[in-house]
Amino acid sequence: MIRPLLIAALAAFAAAPAAAETVAIVHARAHSIAAPVPVDDATILITDGRIVSLTAGGAVPPGARVIDAGNRPVTPALMSAATQIGLIEVAAASDTMDQSVGSGPLGAAFDVQYALNANSVLVQQARADGLVRAMSFPGGAATKPFAGQGALIRLVPGPSILDRPKAAMFVVIGGGSSAGAGGSRAAQWVLLRNALDEAKTYAAAPKGSAPRDQLLNRLDIQALAPVLTRAMPLAIATNRESDIRQAIRLAADYRIRVVIVGGAEAWRVAPELAAAAIPVVIDPESNLPYSFDELGARLDNPALLRKAGVTIAFSVAGGGLHLSYNAGLALREGAGIAVANGLPYAEALKAITLNPAAIWGIGDRFGTLTAGADADIVIWDGDPLEPSSAPAVLLVQGREVSLTTRQTELRDRYAPARAEDALPPGYR
Amino acid sequence: MLALAVLLVPAAMARKPAPRAQVTLPFAVDPNPSSYRPLPRTDTIITHATVLDGAGQRIDDGDVLIRDGRIVAVGNAIGDRGNATVIDARGRWVTPGVIDIHSHNGTYVVPLTSIDEKSSDISELTDANVADTWIESAINPQDTAFYRALEGGVTTLQVLPGSSPIFGGRSVILKPVPATIVAAMKFPGARQGMKMACGENPKSQGAESGRGPTSRQGEVAFIRKAFLSAQDYARQWERYARGESTEPPQRDLKNDTLAAVLRGDIAINWHCYRADEMATMIGLAHEFNLRIATFHHAAEAYKIAPLLQKEGICVAVWADWWGFKMEANDGIRENAAILDAAGNCVMMHSDSPLMGQRLNIEAAKAAAAGRRAGIALPPERVIMWLTSNPARALGLGDRIGTIAPGRNADIVIWSGDPFSIFTRADTVFIDGAVAYDRRDPARQPRSDFELGRTGEARP
Repeated sequence: MIRPLLIAALAAFAAAPAAAETVAIVHARAHSIAAPVPVDDATILITDGRIVSLTAGGAVPPGARVIDAGNRPVTPALMSAATQIGLIEVAAASDTMDQSVGSGPLGAAFDVQYALNANSVLVQQARADGLVRAMSFPGGAATKPFAGQGALIRLVPGPSILDRPKAAMFVVIGGGSSAGAGGSRAAQWVLLRNALDEAKTYAAAPKGSAPRDQLLNRLDIQALAPVLTRAMPLAIATNRESDIRQAIRLAADYRIRVVIVGGAEAWRVAPELAAAAIPVVIDPESNLPYSFDELGARLDNPALLRKAGVTIAFSVAGGGLHLSYNAGLALREGAGIAVANGLPYAEALKAITLNPAAIWGIGDRFGTLTAGADADIVIWDGDPLEPSSAPAVLLVQGREVSLTTRQTELRDRYAPARAEDALPPGYR
Repeated sequence: MLALAVLLVPAAMARKPAPRAQVTLPFAVDPNPSSYRPLPRTDTIITHATVLDGAGQRIDDGDVLIRDGRIVAVGNAIGDRGNATVIDARGRWVTPGVIDIHSHNGTYVVPLTSIDEKSSDISELTDANVADTWIESAINPQDTAFYRALEGGVTTLQVLPGSSPIFGGRSVILKPVPATIVAAMKFPGARQGMKMACGENPKSQGAESGRGPTSRQGEVAFIRKAFLSAQDYARQWERYARGESTEPPQRDLKNDTLAAVLRGDIAINWHCYRADEMATMIGLAHEFNLRIATFHHAAEAYKIAPLLQKEGICVAVWADWWGFKMEANDGIRENAAILDAAGNCVMMHSDSPLMGQRLNIEAAKAAAAGRRAGIALPPERVIMWLTSNPARALGLGDRIGTIAPGRNADIVIWSGDPFSIFTRADTVFIDGAVAYDRRDPARQPRSDFELGRTGEARP
């Protein structure tokens, strides 16, 4: 008889403070992102998981829980514009990986939302590094050039990290991926245009039976409908100048929203990208010709694009390793490299907070420290763009979140101070 | 040029039949000796810099005097400058050149095309023992990655074969100077290393190719068998050198390399992730009296830091790579710091042409994690992870890795604190010559590959 009552009481206890509690972060050096310079001695008020206000020297309302930032830098939590967190675990073990499909009927219809794993150790680590939002994107699908649909994820502690499914349609175009389309990027573009044409025809007469010469199956064709209505951006993962120009033309021809992902040679097309309002998700560490599509890779790509007025956001591959395994840390490192190569500091911060949010459609609620934004906030122990810094305090939805990870547990278990313990590490 | 290992038999020990006065063992002859020549240089004094000397000292407002390619003095307000060109480094930092002990530049060439898909030069894959291969045979000096490494402050790098074979072959130690042939990059007198690999990579290769062991226990048995054979081979040559046999033994190129390893002329660079596996390899080293110079990757080295310290084995690690395969699951960011605290010779390594441009930032990350765990790591200590420790692991500690009188003038002037992301290498000296200068287009080399391809920013 006691047990059900206890559970009910606990449930009430758990629910109550979230609704009422006001949190005040005081003495913050606050990078609001909305303004180019930080606010010193800022007070940030949070209620119901959202930011209420940010004011220099602002008063703390009675009853608020106070977190003293001690004049350390405070920013919105980070967002990676492209990662595969939630879809991958041990890259070399294919049975632990869900980011792509190599066979079967799915192309555009491949949708990663169903694979997201909130219990992945990559999730806790990215979060402990200050990364709270991301686009988790599909690596490849069976029908080329499609890779499938990405999902926005929110790394809240709990059973689900899905924030918004079907947040973008991904295609991959270039020399390294052309084999799936027969061996030429020309075929990739033809297939992509044809897919959009078929989707357009289907949208006009969805009840009618598909013509015999249609290449796409029903699942893929339906998945493309929101791209044509501009509800879903088409993310084109491509690097070479010629392909980026094709992407600009495609966006104009079909009046769709296009985002370039990769864009190693985007600096060569900067004015045209700016004019077409096509944003670019860049790897700011890319300066080597890993492929013939990236011969123009250079570290001032972000600076040149920004100068031309292109909206940029970052994703760091690190040769593949940092895309997901150290996504939070690598993102800041990459942003710092962009600053060292000419990008203004405030723009670099924006490229890992507000800009990815805006590109993927949640800029109204994430990526700034302004009233109404999600209270996903980091107090850093140093300059947020120095990779030697780390989160000191992390708030997700206005609540302080543990920074413990499997790695910190290993660290503590094998700490030098414990070398003389009588029992082996397995008992710690 | 590789030092010839010459077996000298003292006359007093002569037996019948008469020993051959001098027999050059074939293991250690270098048929492609270094033709490196330093770039044009002038005597230089760098003044008013924050100097991290690589030996653990920090000198504020320090000067470094370079003459004839060597460091002749380091300290405050050096008076006797001669005609040295003065570089005012006020507000800037000076360190020894960065040494990357684990590179695949020149073989994992960018761009790697479909031509290399099944036939790359990273490793020879026809056998699990390709100890007869020398990675220098494959080095393409026009790999753009060499040029980027130089811009990142790298002045010495060891190019290793890959980790698919168990015995991967001989490494080569290079200077990232623009050159047309590999010999002109070879570090004069540096001893080759031997690449060996543990664990997942060789056993996967064995299973996929049907050539080589398919398990960890199979790998260990394979290694023991190979060294038993090499011991026998080395004994045959020693008997011949003593004049106990008239005909020289038949040359065996794999055993040549392994015999040189057994003699300690070639240092072992062992790719190993797991703590238990490193301990197993240490057991093999005792069985065959092998000298393991360095464990590479060593994701779990922190679990056995005292053992590695006791064995005197250096450890080359990343700051934060983990999780991408099973044996890398337990990698932690404090690895280097815990090893350093236990007195190990620890260093950063790249294994990647991207990271090979930023080993200073790798060290910054690893040190920061260590500091948060309570380990004191001032910059003058951390710089050793990029300089004197890898120099020692390569057997070059008396020539590079520190800023001290007599050492080669391999030096980087950084725009600021080398452990800040905002800092860049301003000037890179190799043997006292400016190999790269961020402010002087005449000292910003480009690879042949880049010509006509990379383009310039359009206005």
